[in-house]
Amino acid sequence: MVNTLTKSDLVDRVYEQSERNRPEVKDQVEGLLDIIKRVIKQDHSLLISGFGKFETYDKRPRKGRNPQTSEEIILPARKVVVFRLSRKFRAEINQQL
Amino acid sequence: MNRSELIKRLADERDIPMEEATEIVSIFFDSMKEALQNGDRVEIRGFGSFKIKKYEGYQGRNPKTGDPVQVSPKRLPFFRAGKELKEYLNN
Repeated sequence: MVNTLTKSDLVDRVYEQSERNRPEVKDQVEGLLDIIKRVIKQDHSLLISGFGKFETYDKRPRKGRNPQTSEEIILPARKVVVFRLSRKFRAEINQQL
Repeated sequence: MNRSELIKRLADERDIPMEEATEIVSIFFDSMKEALQNGDRVEIRGFGSFKIKKYEGYQGRNPKTGDPVQVSPKRLPFFRAGKELKEYLNN
């Protein structure tokens, strides 16, 4: 069975090691996530050694089609974020195979 | 930006000691790594999700020389940005 790690699990993990109360810890974790989002947007890159790198890319506008009506539409230019795995983490994740 | 700059930023913005910021950032990423290593999913509302894709090994070829090579099975994490992050990046 596949388990899912959620934000509240992360808050619990930090809380276990912290002297603060849980609502305060939740605030810190939300604060961290907020910084991560802003950094990805403003710097276009966030490198976490041993984990990976988040990068944003500009996608140019392109023609698309509504698959239901076959109507042609222009998909607007947009920014996308990709995650590149660190080599170290890639090796770690595959060592027991 | 890198990990240590992220820690510094967290300490500054939240007005907490560097050691505490280091602890938060380490637990945050180490917990995600550990979950993915166990083959679990990670789902952070408003940010995105990670899941492991498994690949079978196969007999491939070196495209330059044509020599057969054995490609071993592997597991790779994939990230999908959440709706909120996508919208935030685009406005």
